[in-house]
Amino acid sequence: MNNKPRKVNFIIVDDSELDCFIAEKLIKHSGIRNSTKSFLQASDALNYIQNSSDLEEDTFNMILLDILMPMMSGIEFVEAFEALPAEIQEKYIIVAFTSSMNKKEMNRMRSFNSVKHLFNKPLSPEVLQPLLQDYNLIS
Amino acid sequence: MPEKIKILYIDDELNNLVGFKASFRLDYNVLVAVNTSEAVEILTKHPDIRIVFCDQRMPDKTGVEFFEEIRSWFPHPIRILITGYTDVEAVIDAINRGHIFRYVKKPWTDSDIISAIEEAHKFYMANSLLSIKNEELQKAYNELDKFAYSVSHDIRGPLSGVMGAIKVVRHLDDIGEIKEMLSLMENSVKKLDTFILSMHDYYTVQRGELRIKEIDLDQVVNDLKDIHQGNITANKVQFSANVNQQEPFWCDDITLKIILNNLLSNAIKYQRQDNNDKQIELNIGVEKGVATIYVRDNGIGIPENYLSEIFSLFFRASTQDAGSGFGLYNVKDALLKLNGGIKVSSVLGEGAVFKVTIPNK
Repeated sequence: MNNKPRKVNFIIVDDSELDCFIAEKLIKHSGIRNSTKSFLQASDALNYIQNSSDLEEDTFNMILLDILMPMMSGIEFVEAFEALPAEIQEKYIIVAFTSSMNKKEMNRMRSFNSVKHLFNKPLSPEVLQPLLQDYNLIS
Repeated sequence: MPEKIKILYIDDELNNLVGFKASFRLDYNVLVAVNTSEAVEILTKHPDIRIVFCDQRMPDKTGVEFFEEIRSWFPHPIRILITGYTDVEAVIDAINRGHIFRYVKKPWTDSDIISAIEEAHKFYMANSLLSIKNEELQKAYNELDKFAYSVSHDIRGPLSGVMGAIKVVRHLDDIGEIKEMLSLMENSVKKLDTFILSMHDYYTVQRGELRIKEIDLDQVVNDLKDIHQGNITANKVQFSANVNQQEPFWCDDITLKIILNNLLSNAIKYQRQDNNDKQIELNIGVEKGVATIYVRDNGIGIPENYLSEIFSLFFRASTQDAGSGFGLYNVKDALLKLNGGIKVSSVLGEGAVFKVTIPNK
């Protein structure tokens, strides 16, 4: 068994610059090998994912996704994501975040296969650490 | 004098129709029909008929049957049956089932009919007032839904950002990073503030009464400059304003200012950051009873497919800057109150022009 921790690439999709920044800082201080990329527009993130075919070997790719965004919303993002070729989709897991208390929207988000988790905002160490442990990314 | 109440009377006996019309045509607008198919035609042609009288005994069908039939086609007019004592069972049944409002017994006197009309009309007015109120209520509910949705996102969003930031800042040692975080926190708090100010505008436009007075447009433009000067300078925008006023202009100044403020602040917000020649032009002209206002900018512009949606409550077509999704909705709503209009044209990446027209009061 390989005990060396994997590198984690985070794609942060949030129209709030502050929330992107918080996520970047939390990840930076989480103690894992990582890279982060933030997108204020979901459509830009989708383009990036579509066009980055040569992902590094043995990395873990996690998308941190806000739900309510102008133009392309988180829900529209996931719909478009699930239309991508399977070999792209299987390289990512999506973790959704929301500050709204809208049940309908939250249920819609939970109904997607590619969305593995849904948390309330803001992202905090209390959310991030157990999440990374779940995927054996930190011990 | 208020308009006469429109009444339809149906009876197969021509003499009754003539007598009825002769008695009441001075006080009411009386239409008559000699059979039920003619009555349906008249009801279709005159949707403003408020009360329908019908004789119970007619060759093709009874008055009760007729009312039962038209009830769903023409739900608004109040239905009154005219009948002799012999049909009392049918009448009671019809009243109980809600097909008719009341009945007048034969032979009728003028005062029977007049009292029936007055009662029926009161009922009609109460009903139509109720349906107007219901419509308003439905609209208010819909907006409340949108509100609850947006409040949870637009107020909690910036707040949860700030809370998250506070937690993170505790773990930071680098003073540069801390400062960066602080300035982002400041933006979030500003966003919240903008939202609350726009909510206040929203309320003002929705519930405020118009106070029409003569407007000094030069003064309005000067006030506008004072309010936005800080942002104009900070964003290095060239702002020019022209007023061409040929006649006195009467308007509600708070509502007018909400319109101009929002358009100008949008023009400042949605500039291209890399543009070294940012321009905003405000032109106001008053001529022939209409004020025409142009707000022109050379900013980021609006994607064509969003042009029809930008006036919707909480719609945002850009992630740039602290948009609340309130501004243009408030503008449109304010113009509705002033009987004005707004048009927008835009080329993506080159700017937008908003043209506002407001009739002189």
